[in-house]
Amino acid sequence: MSNELIPPGLTYLAGNIASRQNILGASKGHSARWAKSLDLPRRAETIFFAGCGYQFSSQLENLMSLILQMDKSIIGTEMPIRFAIFQKKLGVDLPGVYSKILAKDNDAEAQPLKAAVKILRSCGVEFGYLAEDEPCCGAPLYHAGLHKDFSRNARQAYDKLKSLGVKRVISIVPACTHTLLRLFPSYVNNFDLEIKPFLEIVSENISSRKLRFPGEAKVTYHDPCQLARYLRLIDEPRQILRLIKGLELVETEWTRGELATCCGGGGGFEAVFPELSHILAVNRARELAETGADIIVTHCPGCIMQLKQGLKAAKASNIEVLDLTQIIAMSLEG
Amino acid sequence: MTVFKDYKKEIMGAAHDERLRLALSRAIKSFRSNINDALKKFPHTIKLAEEVRGIKEKAIGEMEKLSQQACEAIEANKGKAYIAGTPEEALSIIAGLVGRQKLIVKGKSMTSEEIGLREHLEKQGNEVYETDLGEFIIQQMASKPMHILSPAIHVPREDVARLFTKVLGQEFSSDAEIATLVSAARDFLRDKFFRADVGISGANVVAAETGTLFIIENEGNIRLTTGAPPVHIALVGMEKLVSTLNDAYKVSEVTWRYANYTVPSYVSLVSGPSKTGDIEKVTTYGAHGPKEFHVIFLDGGRTELAKHTLLRQALYCLRCGGCLYECPVFAVTAGHFGDKYFTGIGAVWAAIISKDIEKAASLAYTCLTCGRCKERCPVKIDVPEMVIELRRLIADDERPK
Repeated sequence: MSNELIPPGLTYLAGNIASRQNILGASKGHSARWAKSLDLPRRAETIFFAGCGYQFSSQLENLMSLILQMDKSIIGTEMPIRFAIFQKKLGVDLPGVYSKILAKDNDAEAQPLKAAVKILRSCGVEFGYLAEDEPCCGAPLYHAGLHKDFSRNARQAYDKLKSLGVKRVISIVPACTHTLLRLFPSYVNNFDLEIKPFLEIVSENISSRKLRFPGEAKVTYHDPCQLARYLRLIDEPRQILRLIKGLELVETEWTRGELATCCGGGGGFEAVFPELSHILAVNRARELAETGADIIVTHCPGCIMQLKQGLKAAKASNIEVLDLTQIIAMSLEG
Repeated sequence: MTVFKDYKKEIMGAAHDERLRLALSRAIKSFRSNINDALKKFPHTIKLAEEVRGIKEKAIGEMEKLSQQACEAIEANKGKAYIAGTPEEALSIIAGLVGRQKLIVKGKSMTSEEIGLREHLEKQGNEVYETDLGEFIIQQMASKPMHILSPAIHVPREDVARLFTKVLGQEFSSDAEIATLVSAARDFLRDKFFRADVGISGANVVAAETGTLFIIENEGNIRLTTGAPPVHIALVGMEKLVSTLNDAYKVSEVTWRYANYTVPSYVSLVSGPSKTGDIEKVTTYGAHGPKEFHVIFLDGGRTELAKHTLLRQALYCLRCGGCLYECPVFAVTAGHFGDKYFTGIGAVWAAIISKDIEKAASLAYTCLTCGRCKERCPVKIDVPEMVIELRRLIADDERPK
């Protein structure tokens, strides 16, 4: 990981995966807290794979806005590396500290995950959650070009899942899903795990359910790159949204489905070009807001973070961003 | 790291340039509407594009054979053909043909940008005019192209009016009609075509079996550039070769359609110097068109690139430019996110063709790998896959040769 041509922002994320098995370098205990009250079995043949993105979303949000501020003040490359050295030197769970200080709602990050659990239960799926034992898929290593590290991590992660008796993985974060489903089989010999995108399970099981959104709302859907273009899950979320009474789906004219505009947070880009990433987030938020929707629905923790910040900067206050899981969970109640 | 630092400063400067963003947002909007119309009107293009992918895959595998074949065909047509291994060789062949103190008119060619042809000829004491309107604007601004088909895509009309006031010696108000600006450029360049000693062009596709260059355009400047002066020199990257005329036609149609045209105003097919047999059936070279026709096929790393399993896809590129309108980073930075070629695919060219690994790394890590370019691409070039492979080569320090 020492090649001087790799931007430091990426080596920072990669280093965290190697040392702590998550992109933030946070302690694992902190991350699994969202599931404490849900009574999910710690061992099961089918597991819900929560990934880093949602679990750390509020920390990531704080971290990224901090990095963004620093990027604006010193356009350079030293910033993320200084940050990394700083974190290492202190030896503390810095993002965790930030989240305690800055996060207004400590529980916010848990909402899409809690909603997902509720939906799976309502679909009659039996599953467990590995909590602290959940390995990191290592997607940022792959995207950074650190394929040797990725390959090592993939084998370790696979072995861990196998040793815990896992046979089937329901994955929710698009980057994790793509990594487990498409990349692991080429990096792990005799790969033998069933990987199922959360979205597929839902669309296979939800049509029999009565879904009623509490109230009336216009929603637009933002396709995450990895879902739409890498995994071709384009119709599924739309079919689900159309099933929900009380919702009207309004879409952008050109930029939807396979031609949806990236939120600007792809493949570690936001760690290398925080300010540019922010500009792209604002652009995408504007495109979506122009549909006249009350809610932007998407299904990726990275997109949610980017679009929230984009809307804030675009001063669009009468529109909010929610995960598809939250919309479904709210409609199950209705 | 200093290359990355300078580069980051450059693209961030561009990202804060409101003029640039205005020009691009106008261009993207009209591109989307045009391409949708063009594909709706000629829906067979999508299937044809799949066929073209196959044609390109095959042709890239036999570039060397095809260039030999094309050279023989051109010589049989009484033209002259050359294979240049490196940019330096190409420059020296062309400089030798042109000489000094000549007036040259040029059609737009990315390959000539790649090797710095105009600058080289100017240094040799020649007067060179870019005749494509966008390229003309860029030349007069002393800037560099920001899009492969629309080099001045980042310049809004108001800025063109200001520029023309300065360089054409005529007053244009900032709200001057676009038509007025176009006509002013026409008047300025008109006599250059007929006074020129040499016309230089590129080519979109070349049929090896007959040595025929296919050159697609709308402005009519290519017809004049390749028709009026006594000498026509064409510089062509070897990746433009396909086997047959039939293949070349298919590639051409897909190229212009995905470049957002139902049909372009002109497609020139040039295979040799002009000739006549009208007096006693004796073939005489040099009628109304050029008497001399020279074609230089440039390797410049292309045969090396063709050996790479994943990165060779970069050579399938038809240069329709459609992908650029889909790139979210390009939408705010234009060609600043680029080297000789732009965006993610530009990173591959920077690494292998320009052999500038630091620039290539900077570009590779600017790509979002969002993959929207691939969706637009007629030949489905997997840019994210190439970019990630390039990052791997960089990380493993396996610098591509």
